[in-house]
Amino acid sequence: MNNKLSKIYFDPYLFFSICLLAIFGLFFLYSASNADLSIVIKQAAYIFLGLVIMMVVSQPDPDIFRRTSFAFLCFAVLLLGVTALIGPEINGAQRWVRIGPISFQSSEILKLALPIYLANFLCDKKLPIQTREIGITVLIILTAFFLVARQPDLGTGLIVALSGMFVLFLSGLSWSFIGGSFVLVIISSPLIWNILLKPFQQQRIATLFNPESDPFGAGWNIIQSKIAIGSGGIFGKGFGQGSQTQLNFLPETKTDFIFSVIGEEFGFVGVFLLLGLYFFILMRCLYLALSARDRFCRLVIGGLTLTFAANLVINLCMVVGLLPVVGMPLPFISKGGSSLISLFFAFGIITSMATHKKFLPQ
Amino acid sequence: MIFEERQAEKNDFSSRAIFIFSLIGIAFFIILFQVFSLQVSRYSSYELAALNNKNYTVPIQPLRGEIFDRNGQALVRNIKTFDLITEPNAIESTESFLRLIKPVINLTEAEEQQFLAQFKEMAFVNKELVLKKNLSRQEIAQFRVRGFNFKNAFVAERYRRMSEYPEIFSHVLGYVSSSESEYDLLPGVPRSHWRDAELKYANGLIKGMTGLEATYNTELSGSYGSRVYEINSRRQLGETLEHQPATEGRDIYTHLDISAQKSAAKALGSRKGGVVAVDLESGGINVLFSSPSYSINKLSNGMSIADFQALIANPNKPFFNRATQGRYPPASTIKPAIAMFGLSNKLIGWEEEIDDPGYFTLPENGRIYRGWKKGGHKNVNLKKALLVSSNTYFFKLAYQSNMQDLASYLSSFGFGSKVCVDCFDEDSVFLPTPDWKYNNLNTPWFTGDTVNIGVGQGYLVATPIQLANYSAILANKGTLPKLSIAKSPEFNLAIKNQSTTLLGSKNWSKMHDALTGVIEDDLGTARSIKDLKNFKVAGKSGTAELVSLDSKEAYQDVRDTELLRDHSIIIAFGPMPNPKYAVSVVIENGESGGAVAGPVAIEVLKSLLNEQ
Repeated sequence: MNNKLSKIYFDPYLFFSICLLAIFGLFFLYSASNADLSIVIKQAAYIFLGLVIMMVVSQPDPDIFRRTSFAFLCFAVLLLGVTALIGPEINGAQRWVRIGPISFQSSEILKLALPIYLANFLCDKKLPIQTREIGITVLIILTAFFLVARQPDLGTGLIVALSGMFVLFLSGLSWSFIGGSFVLVIISSPLIWNILLKPFQQQRIATLFNPESDPFGAGWNIIQSKIAIGSGGIFGKGFGQGSQTQLNFLPETKTDFIFSVIGEEFGFVGVFLLLGLYFFILMRCLYLALSARDRFCRLVIGGLTLTFAANLVINLCMVVGLLPVVGMPLPFISKGGSSLISLFFAFGIITSMATHKKFLPQ
Repeated sequence: MIFEERQAEKNDFSSRAIFIFSLIGIAFFIILFQVFSLQVSRYSSYELAALNNKNYTVPIQPLRGEIFDRNGQALVRNIKTFDLITEPNAIESTESFLRLIKPVINLTEAEEQQFLAQFKEMAFVNKELVLKKNLSRQEIAQFRVRGFNFKNAFVAERYRRMSEYPEIFSHVLGYVSSSESEYDLLPGVPRSHWRDAELKYANGLIKGMTGLEATYNTELSGSYGSRVYEINSRRQLGETLEHQPATEGRDIYTHLDISAQKSAAKALGSRKGGVVAVDLESGGINVLFSSPSYSINKLSNGMSIADFQALIANPNKPFFNRATQGRYPPASTIKPAIAMFGLSNKLIGWEEEIDDPGYFTLPENGRIYRGWKKGGHKNVNLKKALLVSSNTYFFKLAYQSNMQDLASYLSSFGFGSKVCVDCFDEDSVFLPTPDWKYNNLNTPWFTGDTVNIGVGQGYLVATPIQLANYSAILANKGTLPKLSIAKSPEFNLAIKNQSTTLLGSKNWSKMHDALTGVIEDDLGTARSIKDLKNFKVAGKSGTAELVSLDSKEAYQDVRDTELLRDHSIIIAFGPMPNPKYAVSVVIENGESGGAVAGPVAIEVLKSLLNEQ
């Protein structure tokens, strides 16, 4: 028993690959910020804090997340409410909440709380899942989506909704239901376009298909990002040598478009290695999910990992011009404390769930 | 849950997890494929796009070539002056800037208003803006002393296009003006970059608009250089990446003669008209003067719109180049050409005499064509007809002529075509023929029309430069290179010795003898200018009638209106018997040809021969 108490729960593959990613991220950020060391130091501090949080979160038994999942969800929703009431308005959106000296994006917490809660809700349901449970789950997901989307933050809202839907899917949602709702979304898409999307969002989508139609307006970001990546070639222009980045033609280099910086300065080789590292993390998580001790842990690992993956894929598709521009950071690399801390938190939970083994009840 | 259920759930989860992770794998593949297509397949176009983003090419203006007269004296030069130039992006408040700068330099209200108006348009950074042109030495000194106050302004040298003789060479030299067409001179440099061009001239990107400045604009201009800057997304210029210096334009050496041109201008005075003088050996144009004139210095270095409008609206039309564009009846000066036509067609001989009663009666309808002298000149042969300028003789000769043949003969003397290879604005005019009349006036040609042409009236008109060319062909006994202002073969203008031989030498010698008599003989109509010089001159004067009148008495009535008075014309060449220069002079409303235009021609010939 003594031995067990002193055990530190951590997954070396996950831990070191994330560390590697975060450290690379610091270099990329140094270049993306035009060699602004203070930004890099601040980011490094967040990474250190995040690693500590990840280690701490990994230690307790996964049951604690299960028992607190409802409270956690309530806390997340409460924070969103507080944000809506007293959050400062930045660029026409209320996304941030300040508690003492710390300010963060409240939706980041919901991104964690929602899949955990839904995993808890669904993990003891019989297969296949009944319509009533599906109804409740969908209702919760839609509520969460609208809470975030009204900030307005459509990108994060979609990620939150996706995080819930991943859990629902993994927990055994019937394929006919999936097919049916897919058809429904296709049919209602003109309605969504006309009623739900704001003009600037419509324009972003239109711009994707024809960025040259407005090269100095809405198309600017996509065009400059593609120029940055494309001009990187196979080996890139070299660290700190990207003209698109250093001369500020590329927008949002420190956050959403940091991948374009990597593409420009490190070329196809750099991009390939970076994607390889991400892919390794995802595969490791898949393995951990498949070998997790129980259904709750499987669902949480799967849900959180897929949320991370969705976040990553949307960012990458956006910067290479496959998706419209939505505000979405590149995980572990883009500048931003909230995103980093919540990522480390998520991987802490994943580690906890993957490393604690439960002996079958005698 | 029982064990089997748990196992089934686990299997279901596994298949779902693998399914959705496969989708993510596919997404990764698509992303990688897209990155590959951007970075590898379409690399070159994106590389170019990135270069176009960061490279900013700025044109560098070359210095224009200068223009010299035949003795190597400058006609137009680039004169260095100093301008006060500001950097708008460094000026936070124009008010406080002007308050600071006003005690240092003298700023007129107009200059201040222009500065403020232009400042508003200068959203573009790094763009220079001239506050005051042509600073005095005192202003420069004052600015230097207090220069530390003005990080946003500097004194820089800017050239002006200046002539020491701004009034007398205006039409032939022409002026320069800033022109947007310069923007197309550097391929690949967008028009917007030209606003940032490194300027040499105070008047901006200048281009020749008229005269030699326009004809030889390409040679004079040289070629623009360029400087490639690195630029960021906020359009701030960084370090220079490439520098290609401008190539200065070539100087142009001309046949023009400053002292002769001065003489022409002085002799013409305030009268309207044109003077052209030609060097017989080269066909070079020594004098090309049109009066009234204007100052090219003002025009070339930024004239106010009001001044420009006034120049254009001036009823005396100073802009109009009378020497190359003014259409005047050649009057009696055409008679030598008509005579040569008659001789070559055996219509007349030197010795044949006719009776000149003072008028010619057209046999067809009895219409009377009067000479200038009442009672006529009695018995006249060809020489006398030229000396006394007998109209009857030439009416009769013309009456015998075929107009089509006469017109083509006149064209050999350059009438009806451009005679100068590098005159900017020459009018070729036209030759009157039956076809011409039918096409333009829609009436048939009458014999009387031909009769009028015999004395250079009617439908026949010519420019002073055509008259000078004609005079030179007479002087050169039928041959003459095409006229040019610039010295060939410096420029590949295909200036060839396009000489024409019209007649045998026996007739030419007699013609020179007769034309010398016009001035030197006591019978000659231009004998009044005989004693103005101490060399012999040949010529033919003319008085071009603007209104057709039957009597001297009737003319006294129209004399009262100055603009209806006869034009005074002379063609002359000398020194005889071996002429070197030929001249033509037209003085609008000057009346009597020999006495009025004659002295001007003599002054020009004297200048050219250095016989003052």
